[in-house]
Amino acid sequence: MNLKEIKELIEMLKGTDISELEVERAGMKVRLRKGSDVTFHPTIPRVEYPHASMVASTKVEAQATIQEKVVEPVKTNEITVSSPIVGTFYRAPAPDKPPYVQDGDMVKKGQVLCIIEAMKLMNEIESETSGKIIQILIENGQPVEYGQPLFVIEPSQL
Amino acid sequence: MFKKILIANRGEIALRIIRACKDMGIETVAVHSTADANSLHVRFADESVCIGPPKSNDSYLNVPAIISAAEITNAEAIHPGYGFLAENASFAEICSSTGLRFIGPSPESIRLMGDKAKARETAKKAGVPVVPGSDGVVTEESSALEIARDLGFPVIVKAAAGGGGKGMRVVMEESEFGNAFVMAQTEALAAFGNADVYIEKYILQPRHIEIQIIADEKGNTVYLGERECSIQRRHQKLIEEAPSIIVDDQLRAQMGEMAISVAKIVKYRNAGTVEFLMDENRKYYFMEMNTRIQVEHPVTEMVTGIDLVREQIRVAAGMPLSFTQEQIKIKGHSIECRINAECPDKFTPCPGTVTAFNPPGGPGVRVETAAYTQYVIPQYYDSMIAKLIVHADTRSDAIIRMRRALDEFIIEGVKTTIPMHKKILDEQDFQQGNISTKFMERYNSTVK
Repeated sequence: MNLKEIKELIEMLKGTDISELEVERAGMKVRLRKGSDVTFHPTIPRVEYPHASMVASTKVEAQATIQEKVVEPVKTNEITVSSPIVGTFYRAPAPDKPPYVQDGDMVKKGQVLCIIEAMKLMNEIESETSGKIIQILIENGQPVEYGQPLFVIEPSQL
Repeated sequence: MFKKILIANRGEIALRIIRACKDMGIETVAVHSTADANSLHVRFADESVCIGPPKSNDSYLNVPAIISAAEITNAEAIHPGYGFLAENASFAEICSSTGLRFIGPSPESIRLMGDKAKARETAKKAGVPVVPGSDGVVTEESSALEIARDLGFPVIVKAAAGGGGKGMRVVMEESEFGNAFVMAQTEALAAFGNADVYIEKYILQPRHIEIQIIADEKGNTVYLGERECSIQRRHQKLIEEAPSIIVDDQLRAQMGEMAISVAKIVKYRNAGTVEFLMDENRKYYFMEMNTRIQVEHPVTEMVTGIDLVREQIRVAAGMPLSFTQEQIKIKGHSIECRINAECPDKFTPCPGTVTAFNPPGGPGVRVETAAYTQYVIPQYYDSMIAKLIVHADTRSDAIIRMRRALDEFIIEGVKTTIPMHKKILDEQDFQQGNISTKFMERYNSTVK
């Protein structure tokens, strides 16, 4: 089951009364749960990255969209990296720099995967394991809460 | 007026604040620990942000997580509720420095009144009678003993950084003093990080009478009458009522003006409560001031018709109080019972799943709760699951109504203090108003 098929499932779910759907196929399980609350506003990444030296950030225009919390398919040999803090997710150390990781990258334990900015401080989020980046679940500039899944990694011995 | 407020709390008070916001068309952000993901306050808020794992230190007391949650949701103000960060002056300061409005008094007021010894001195300066005691903190045991002798035993040794019934030791006679003094200092250091203690005369059988005040940004300060909170167990309130059977109009005005003097001398803003002890001769003494909205605020709302949380929000937004002192009238009588999920004999918390939950209704009955059928009570927080408030024309009618409401209140799956409340209300002493903070001791010894 790939992302395209999951997106199709989500579309199908939208028009119905079904609030929760679980599909299992070829050893993979997907559970989709429809949420009717707006959880929080994804920010549009046209904002300047606040510098590490405490600059007052401009308030972002928030656009409310219904966030359906999709639980990504997690195979038994995959792990999810969740956010340890509340803040804004950034894929790169600065807007003009390349992202820390891309889909398919091999990462080492302790390698920085992303930044979560909280209270004007940039927190580097390190990988707990070595392995391969299977999925990046959050968009650049998106707010994240504690425990929110960020990456799916297939661990490997390195 | 604020467009969006973040509620830095949980349970029934979070819901209370969310309701006030919604009634004013203000958007709400709930924060929650992972243990509270299915809470009512999370469900009813417009947005929610998970801020940490179950333990309070990692979640509801986690300042960076809460401030961050306000940032990512663009909240303009934070209402801290009661407990948690409500009386944390540093948190109030951090809010202002990040451009968030803290719905409460200034950090200076919080700090000053949070130091119970300084608060006493402040009350004295305002010309308010205080419980006879030491002039501030006492560090030497020998001086402390001198003071205690002057006051006359029994005395009570209190932690300056304590409050809310914590960090105090009663010393009935001189022979116990030395030990008690040193123990009190040690406990204060352990519990509050500060060994400062002061001494007060211990009033036997006092009544706990507190005055609700609120002040707007211009300093207009109004008192909204008293609450009697004498039914307590280990300094935790069980039943509160307004007005107090022992306070007449004249005494109310006197104590109200005293409370206002204390508030004005520290330039207090927003809602607060000045607590007094009253002896059997109706002499009252300042005890402490609480710089937050209190658990029992609904009984004041019922007898005055004022929505206190709404006023808090208005005041924080810079609006004037929506009433004058002359407009505040006490009408009828209100009683509140705090319903806790506790095992009846030991009063130990009794978390679990609420299998059936049906609150009472009808005229003059108000329930403040975040519980519902199938609600799993987390073990990490306090055990209060509901506040049952009634209002009626007279105190005896209010007691009958509360009795009726307690009978209707169905909570299954966990043990609650409802049976205990019924028994207290049936006690002749309670019905006649012969109450004091000693009531529960007497009650417990007769019940067993």
